[in-house]
Amino acid sequence: MFCQRVGQTTLAILIGLCFPAAAGAQYPMLMSLKPAAAQVGQASEHTITSRYNLYGAYQVLVSGQGVTAEVIPVPKPKDGKTPNLTSLKLRFTIAADALPGVRDFRLATPRGASTVGQIVIVRDKVTIETGSNNTAEKAQAVTLPTTLCGAVEGAEDVDVFRFKAKKGQPLSFHVRSQRLQDRIHDLQSHIDPILTLRTAGGTTLAASDNYFFADPFLATTAPADGDYLLEIRDVRFKGNGYWQYVIESHGRPFIETVYPLAVARGKDVPVVPIGHHVAVGSQARLNLPADTTAGFKTLQLRLGPSSTNPVQVVVSSLPTTVETPQENNDLKSAQTITLPSTLSGRIEADSDLDCFAFQAKKGEKYTFEVMARRAGSALDPHLRILDGKGKQLSLNDDHNRLKRLTQDSRIENFSVPADGKYIVEIRDVHLRGGRRYVYAIRTTRATPYFEILLDTDKTQLSPGTNGVIFVRAERHNGFSGGISLAATGLPAGVTAHGGRILPDGQDGCMILTTAADAKPSIANITVTGTEIQTAKSPAGPPLTHVARSMQETYMPGGGRNHWPVEAHAVNVGGPSDLRSVTLSTQAVTLKPGGSATIDVSFQRAPGFTKNVTLDMLFRHLSTVYGNSLPKGVSIDSTASKTLITGKESKGKIVLKAAKDAPPVEKQQASIMANVSINFVMKATYSGLPVLITVAKP
Amino acid sequence: MARSRRVRTRPPHLVLVTLAIAIASSTTTVEAAAGFSVTPEQATLRGNFARLQLVVGKTNANGKRDDRSIDLTRKARYTSLTPDIVAVNSTGELLARSNGQAQVEVVVEGETRYVTVAVSQVTGTPVIGFKEQVGPILSKHGCNMGACHASQYGKGGFKLSVFGFDPANDRRAIVRDHHQRRVSLVRPEGSLFLRKPTMQVPHSGGHRLGRNSVDHDILVAWLLGGAGGPESKAPKVTGLQVFPTRHVGPAGTEQQLRVVARYSDKTTRDVTAWAKYDSMDEAILDVAPTGLVTASDRGQASVMIRFEGQAQIAMFVTPFAKSVSLAGWKNNNFVDELAVAKFRELAIAPSGLCGDDAFIRRAYIDATGTLPTPGETRDFLASPRPDKRQRLIDELLGLTGDPKRDRFNDRYAAWWTLKWSDLIRNSSNKLGEQGMWALHNWIRESFRTNKPFDRFVTELVTAKGSIYSSGPANYFRINSNANDLTESTAQLFLGIRLECAKCHHHPFEKYSQGDYQGFAAFFRSVGTKSSEEFGLFGRESVVVVKPGSTAKATPLDGEPVEHPLDLRIPLAKWLTAGNNDFFSRNVVNRYMSYLLGRGLVEPVDDLRSTNPPTNVALMDALSKHLVENKFNLKVLLRAIMSSRLYQLSSQPTKANVGDSRFYSHFRVKRMAAEPLLDAVDVATGVPTKFKSLPLGTRAIELPDAGDFYSNYFLKTFAKPKRASVCECERSSDENLTQALHTLNGDTVAGKVASKNGRVAKLLAAKTGHEAIVEELYLATLSRRPTADEQSACREFLKQSPSPKECYEDLLWALINSKQFLFVR
Repeated sequence: MFCQRVGQTTLAILIGLCFPAAAGAQYPMLMSLKPAAAQVGQASEHTITSRYNLYGAYQVLVSGQGVTAEVIPVPKPKDGKTPNLTSLKLRFTIAADALPGVRDFRLATPRGASTVGQIVIVRDKVTIETGSNNTAEKAQAVTLPTTLCGAVEGAEDVDVFRFKAKKGQPLSFHVRSQRLQDRIHDLQSHIDPILTLRTAGGTTLAASDNYFFADPFLATTAPADGDYLLEIRDVRFKGNGYWQYVIESHGRPFIETVYPLAVARGKDVPVVPIGHHVAVGSQARLNLPADTTAGFKTLQLRLGPSSTNPVQVVVSSLPTTVETPQENNDLKSAQTITLPSTLSGRIEADSDLDCFAFQAKKGEKYTFEVMARRAGSALDPHLRILDGKGKQLSLNDDHNRLKRLTQDSRIENFSVPADGKYIVEIRDVHLRGGRRYVYAIRTTRATPYFEILLDTDKTQLSPGTNGVIFVRAERHNGFSGGISLAATGLPAGVTAHGGRILPDGQDGCMILTTAADAKPSIANITVTGTEIQTAKSPAGPPLTHVARSMQETYMPGGGRNHWPVEAHAVNVGGPSDLRSVTLSTQAVTLKPGGSATIDVSFQRAPGFTKNVTLDMLFRHLSTVYGNSLPKGVSIDSTASKTLITGKESKGKIVLKAAKDAPPVEKQQASIMANVSINFVMKATYSGLPVLITVAKP
Repeated sequence: MARSRRVRTRPPHLVLVTLAIAIASSTTTVEAAAGFSVTPEQATLRGNFARLQLVVGKTNANGKRDDRSIDLTRKARYTSLTPDIVAVNSTGELLARSNGQAQVEVVVEGETRYVTVAVSQVTGTPVIGFKEQVGPILSKHGCNMGACHASQYGKGGFKLSVFGFDPANDRRAIVRDHHQRRVSLVRPEGSLFLRKPTMQVPHSGGHRLGRNSVDHDILVAWLLGGAGGPESKAPKVTGLQVFPTRHVGPAGTEQQLRVVARYSDKTTRDVTAWAKYDSMDEAILDVAPTGLVTASDRGQASVMIRFEGQAQIAMFVTPFAKSVSLAGWKNNNFVDELAVAKFRELAIAPSGLCGDDAFIRRAYIDATGTLPTPGETRDFLASPRPDKRQRLIDELLGLTGDPKRDRFNDRYAAWWTLKWSDLIRNSSNKLGEQGMWALHNWIRESFRTNKPFDRFVTELVTAKGSIYSSGPANYFRINSNANDLTESTAQLFLGIRLECAKCHHHPFEKYSQGDYQGFAAFFRSVGTKSSEEFGLFGRESVVVVKPGSTAKATPLDGEPVEHPLDLRIPLAKWLTAGNNDFFSRNVVNRYMSYLLGRGLVEPVDDLRSTNPPTNVALMDALSKHLVENKFNLKVLLRAIMSSRLYQLSSQPTKANVGDSRFYSHFRVKRMAAEPLLDAVDVATGVPTKFKSLPLGTRAIELPDAGDFYSNYFLKTFAKPKRASVCECERSSDENLTQALHTLNGDTVAGKVASKNGRVAKLLAAKTGHEAIVEELYLATLSRRPTADEQSACREFLKQSPSPKECYEDLLWALINSKQFLFVR
């Protein structure tokens, strides 16, 4: 959840100042934060840089608990004009008990909610790169433990830090850099950092290139008393002012994962921390409350008097099992398990594989989901279901879920072909193994369900206008019902027209309407999909799912991709380029083979003469990301007038129904007026909902 | 001596002859107390047209043959005592006539030996096997060579398979094609197939077959017998036995060879008449089609013997002198023990030790690709320690165990990364920038940490994962299919060139298409998938093994293996096994070549059995040393560099000036492009700036192929484009363009005259004349100037318009000197 904190003074100063002049749909894209880390228990100033104007930013939303931020006011311009500000100071305040790790944040501005930025919460004091530390001779002297923050800001940039260490002193250096760029909306080139530890004389002691994805991690011990040099650069010697890095540099234990990976809630269970500089035989205990949400959970372990860096565990609401020490590498030695359950194991060595046997009856359906890579394990699992004789019945390496490819395997809806014994076999796809290769396999009865996601992660509104959120469903295990959509947590003055996803359909849309007198505000909303039950639905409460929000990201070259973020923000800004979008009708009835016209008019802001395009499909280039039109209904592009040039303000959409279009009643759709911001970005305005009915033939 | 002794003059008893048949055709030798011996003593000839070569040789004082025995085969007189059973010609070749027991008398200068011969299976209607007899005749006479009827479209409409790898089609081409126009089964002698090679009708291939030859008779008999095709159950040739395998003698020596083929049914047959012979060094050896070898000059060379897909060699050593004195030689280690044995055998006196100045320069460049600084050279030259060379070697290789002395690790890693990046062909052209860097960093880290070479190769050939995150995974992108992987892996890590065997049996090796495909099967299940292991924006390929493959694969010379998960695992295990001589020899040979300028085998990456090492014992010992030291490359380098052999002067003596293969003097090597440019940078004090890399990055650290860096100097001095796994892609030749560039090009001239250069700084520091001259000599040639040179420089200073011009000209001259451009 995002928590909000409004800088009251800032808000008071900026709202009155900026909003009258806030026309323009160019919401700011956050590019980098400098320094990119903040220490727990401290308040610190940071500079956020962006593309497009930050001026007037008045509020910062930060994910998770214990971290707040505010905008440091900028001086009022003397000429009264709105300055173009692409750099702004923020003050982050980190509670002493805030969980270290990466937090998302977002700024509210008169031109809309910004894209997501990230800040790393760290335990050690932050040391900022001086900028003139490109050689060993000019190395910046630092004292460990510390968190080094800097940027590989230009081609051939190399940052060198000098520190002292005692012989045998444990050292670890954890770099976050490329991972901090995943959520930058439009960064065409990304860092590939490499870390090198040298003696004072320049001889390499250790180097790390890619450890956590493209980010390095290095753990070693100092071989002698003396000075050491830590060097970070881009592998290719490239650079970019937005390429910030954070190097957590200390000698404490660094935990990557735990074994067993899955823990039962409501029980006191031991886990073995797996990582670096961990004393042999170390053990921690976890006692999670019985009401802990099942799934991935990030927490700190207690090791002696102190807590570790955060690690992920899998919280299980099912019975838990742990792989036994005996061999289980083949059918004969397979360890017997019962289903449903959550199993923890580890691929102990290269080429190791683990087999588990279970009894099942014909017609039973199970889903086997591996949770490993997503929980910080080094394992790239490869999962198979075999019959009692070893014949392969099902296999999965990676699986796609909610637009993301995960290295974790999942075999969903496995239908047992006959009564008997079956084998779950798991290994690393690359046949690697070791202490870090832990996994959990959650096995559940396969029942119909759905998941929904929001495209995108923010809705920009201005007073008196409407916005649209497209919602896409992923259906599992034969779920085919309709899904109704509802939103909570909307900003004051905003109402939602919850649409639906039709039975067997993929997309639906919600339309948000802003009152003409709505005040500037921002809020993270929750969108929930609820099964539309029919007489044929199974007894019991309807299925529900809270939508995952996806930030759109533009790939190098212009392709559109998505990255999950923690919340969907709805921002009410100032008046923008279009002041209203008006439709000739909000209800259309089509006969199969027939058509209907909806006239569209809009009001331009004074001086706004850009082209506007009308659409009912959410798309980029040739790919459709959202289409809530009923099956068989489409836009007659020949008869429609969708390109509205600068001096015009009227167009029309002609809908046509195929001859075999199935009947449907009042499916909600949006007519969008799109204004291009650049090649890949656009501002979208919506008319009020259009309810489309396809009559029976 | 032999003439004075009594020898056996009576034929052995017939019973003994019969008993001896059981071991006939083997290379048994009639030994006498002194005089000469005949090989074999007893012979068996089976079937019509069976032939057998007798080899006659002088015995030593112990009555034994050894590798110095003089061949008397052409001097002996031969008489068949039972000519109706066996015939013998003047060269000692027997020919079966009819079944029975026979004797052949061999006389040399009045002494006589008798060879007992058993002839069997001779019939009135001989059965001629196509694979066993016809095919070898076609090969022997060159019919199925690539230049003749095995060319792409054949010759004159008659097409045979290359080296007879497809006997069924060859027989069809002879017997069936063109409405059977090539053969007459009724009147075989009139067959076009025989009239052409005997030149009874015009034949553009010339005269290939004598009308009265045994081979002609065999072919006639084959046709008369119905011209049968190859039998699938016909025994295959599994190996060759050559006698003698080694001979030492003065120039002019002759030696008749005898070749016996072993078959899959455990039988043997003398195939001397049908084997093919090639001199591997025609300047030293001549070999006739009959297997008679003549040593025409001094040195060491081999004859390659081929028969039906099998190949063997016989080695000939022709000493440079009658005797040699090696009194001044002192062994530093086992390398020297074995090197001096070869010197003794060849009667070559090696040059003396090189001076300390030559040694420090040689050792620095060879171990780290870097010139010593003037300070490092001064310290070394000034050191009185008797073990200073060994200490320097250990420091350069990072083997002292003292972190303060092991300060060259990064230079070492950079230099050897360059070497192996060339061979593995790391290039952004193939891998993109990200993949290229990933592979570069993995190689460099491997050499920095002195990863054992077996582990290095295992990680490479079993690589998997993201091509961005896992450097070695890029090997499977450079070589994107099983055939490329097969050929590259075999050549890089076994020194075996398998590409020929993709299409036909290897001409100089025993490897067939089956061997090739068996090896390629190790890689057939490797594929790629898409992933984001490198992060959201990686979008890179991930190398994976496709599941479900149950194919078997076969190592070269091995048995088929299988693996339920990844066939590359047993491949790597076999490849890097301590008993896989090819693997260890390949490494040893490359490193000998890098350090001593020439491999024990040349070309360096062609270790086929028919291309033997110049010093087999040294190759074996170094290979054993490598295996015993767990493939530790630094230890291998130390063994070679510590040897006296490595530390010999590059100045040849009159006695060894003719040797270019046995390391009797250090072989002068042109510096490779990258260390040479770095040396220019060090000498002038002006570093080169490379595209996209920070100033100070040295040429040996460049990660990409030659064509990525727009550096004319590197291009001129042949930095490779990394297009081939062959060592030969990096040419070490000198050429005029290189000379013109260092003499007249702007690279050297600009650096010499740079305001920030060495000369400018020396002048700015008001350094004295002699000190400047010494500094320039040390910075370039790693030695102090001689008194004469100092004197000449004083004179030159007087004649120069200014000191600046004097010292710049001196530096330019030093850089253009051979002492600078070459490792000596």
